[in-house]
Amino acid sequence: MHFDAANLIPILPEITLLITASLVLMVDLYLKEHEKGLNHTLTLIGIAIAIVLTGAVGGGEPQVFFDGNLIRDDISDLLKGAILIVSLLAFVYVRAWLQDRGMLVGEFYVLGLFAILGMLIMVSANSFLPLYLGLELQALSLYALVAFDRDSKKGAEAAMKYFVLGALGSGMLLYGVSMIYGATGSIEFAPVAQAVAEQGMSNKVLVFGIAFLVIGIGFKFGAVPFHMWVPDIYEGAPTPSVLILGSAPKIAAFALAIRMLVDGLGSLHPDWHQMLVILAVLSMGLGNLVAIAQSNIKRMLAYSTISHVGFIFLGLLAGSEQGYASAMFYSIVYAVMAAGAFGILLILSREGFDAERLEDLKGLNDRDAWYAAMMALVMFSMAGVPPTVGFMAKLLVLEAVVRVDMVWLALVAVFFSIIGAFYYLRVVKFIYFDKPADDAPLLVTTGGVRVAMSINGLVLLALGVFPAALLTLCQDAFA
Amino acid sequence: MGFEKFLFYVFALITLWAAGMVITRKNPVHSVLFLVLAFVSSAALWLLLEAEFLGIVLVLVYVGAVMVLFLFVIMMLDIDIATLRAGFIRYLPIGILITAVMAVEIFLIVGPSNFGLEAFPAPEPAAADASNAADLGRVLYTLYLYPVEIAAVILLVAIVAAIRLTLRRRPETKFVDPSRQVRVKKGPRRIRLVKMAAEVAVPAAVSSAQPGVEENS
Amino acid sequence: MIDNYLPILIFILVGILVGVGPLVIGYLLGPRRPDSEKDSPYECGFEAFETARLKFDVRYYLVAILFIVFDLEIAFLFPWALVLQELGIYAFWAMVVFLGILVVGFIYEWKKGALEWE
Repeated sequence: MHFDAANLIPILPEITLLITASLVLMVDLYLKEHEKGLNHTLTLIGIAIAIVLTGAVGGGEPQVFFDGNLIRDDISDLLKGAILIVSLLAFVYVRAWLQDRGMLVGEFYVLGLFAILGMLIMVSANSFLPLYLGLELQALSLYALVAFDRDSKKGAEAAMKYFVLGALGSGMLLYGVSMIYGATGSIEFAPVAQAVAEQGMSNKVLVFGIAFLVIGIGFKFGAVPFHMWVPDIYEGAPTPSVLILGSAPKIAAFALAIRMLVDGLGSLHPDWHQMLVILAVLSMGLGNLVAIAQSNIKRMLAYSTISHVGFIFLGLLAGSEQGYASAMFYSIVYAVMAAGAFGILLILSREGFDAERLEDLKGLNDRDAWYAAMMALVMFSMAGVPPTVGFMAKLLVLEAVVRVDMVWLALVAVFFSIIGAFYYLRVVKFIYFDKPADDAPLLVTTGGVRVAMSINGLVLLALGVFPAALLTLCQDAFA
Repeated sequence: MGFEKFLFYVFALITLWAAGMVITRKNPVHSVLFLVLAFVSSAALWLLLEAEFLGIVLVLVYVGAVMVLFLFVIMMLDIDIATLRAGFIRYLPIGILITAVMAVEIFLIVGPSNFGLEAFPAPEPAAADASNAADLGRVLYTLYLYPVEIAAVILLVAIVAAIRLTLRRRPETKFVDPSRQVRVKKGPRRIRLVKMAAEVAVPAAVSSAQPGVEENS
Repeated sequence: MIDNYLPILIFILVGILVGVGPLVIGYLLGPRRPDSEKDSPYECGFEAFETARLKFDVRYYLVAILFIVFDLEIAFLFPWALVLQELGIYAFWAMVVFLGILVVGFIYEWKKGALEWE
């Protein structure tokens, strides 16, 4: 038995992240309290190298490595790049918050890096086993991040809920996988797809397995009716952890759905299509309606996540290449928007104060006009107001749905996003038309936060005006 | 075949009974002990399936380590059994309903019609000297090398997360550090002589002013 | 191959018999006249001070979970050791990477003082 070193080339970004995480873990042990900033620097350098390597090893024909466990194709290249870039932004935002609370320790960065590593593994999985392991790696790191503030009761409660429901979701997923293995005799996607194409709908075991897979995916995405954990975790967890778990993991969850449902069970589209329709309609409806009633902005953003997940499902259930590409576009755009929104919350927080209520955003324009403009951009984009990219993303998804003759679904989606626009625009009203609280200081940020936030906000505008830059990449991935 | 089948039913019944006891016992410690029984009898089922290595790992890891951890956790929590059981009856009907639906579905799907001997013929029994663990090693470190390395990373995350979430420094506890004790050498650094001004005796009037303090303490 | 395990089954049966037998015999033959005083918990002649359910320190949990991690690592080592001759240097390096990742964790817990009992 010999080992082909070429297998290592496509996982160079993963190896980089692993080495960075180990390095941070080791270096942190020897750092004094005032030198902890080095963790931050090392992490950012590691992610930057991983981004470069992703670009370097990407491109070309799809190839399978590690005896069919790993695949490198256009989907994995694009999603890996997106996950790493969004995470880089997220890590830039978290530093000041952690430092003010004495939590600028190596473990936060290590757990964050391992979560990203798990996502990368999911994105490039070519078999149920690495897909599941990547998912667990990501989930375990995120559970710990949610409980990261050891003295916070709310954080511990949120982590407990997240853990129990996450484990339930993983269990459902595994049970579904075991059924599919029983019906097809393989856990690798290509043989599964082949076996499924031969048996088709006639095999009840397959249909049964898919039901469990979709439930598992629903849990991981936080789609209604498997959404119960989302608001509580967003509210209870420390904001940096929410930033990390609310942005890039949505891209990874999209990869989970694409790999299992499309790569593995693509020919059973009529089956999972129905289930996704239910999840999508419920998510858009409940997410948008309940978000209106929230006074806690983290909770509001949680329900907004749920409604966006509904839109991502719309693209998936269309079942056409155009639909998958639009869902991919939507999930990447959503991750960027979420990073921006939680980034602003972190900027608004200061020592001994966490921006959590909607009122905390009042008069942001008087405190810092530039950040106010960026937050407004994020909110407009989430609401789907042109010319921001949120509008393009919604438009593309709706177009894909209309193309497969599901006009009623498109109308439902439009109806709910109009309702949803209300609470996003209310935030914009708070920012521009209300007076700040008397004790609210001017915003001071350091360490490139302003640069990162500017990029984050302006990208939403630039992609809205020139969507082709990202859209062609998404379309090529499924062509 | 007959005796093996008999053993299968015995162990399967023990597993089911123990699993039922786990969720119905009032005392969580009893639940944990029944869970141990369930694990041991499922390990026996795995032995019957000729998956000896997995059976032994189940006993070693789950019974030997995970269940001990469960016991620690249960003893760590200040569980009030009454409040724990409070919602039981109220949620029982919906619980039974969901369980029944799931059980019927599973029974219909995972029945003899789909997983019977026609679809999956019984494999040849392994030879007397077949090593299950070696077979496992042969695929683990070739076909499934990548997942195995991911498993190592997951274990690393478990270490980091457990230490971060539970380890706290306790400067107030007094303890003896043996390594520092043995390193003590005789010599000038062992005893330190400190020069200080002579103490001045406190006038007797102060202590007699507060006689009550002495009595109370 | 299953036949190899027959002695073990017999061993377990005899073990259970020896363990359970005396208890059953004692239960059946011994006189039992319980009353409330006999059945109440006692503590060296005192009334019980507190409930028997003492809270454990969270440090036990940490030790247990670290033990599990390395227990699992051993579970990976067994199959590896059996096929090392067959797979050669390739399997050797596979395990070096596996252990290397865990050694990072080990150094971390050592330096962090998680193995010390203050």
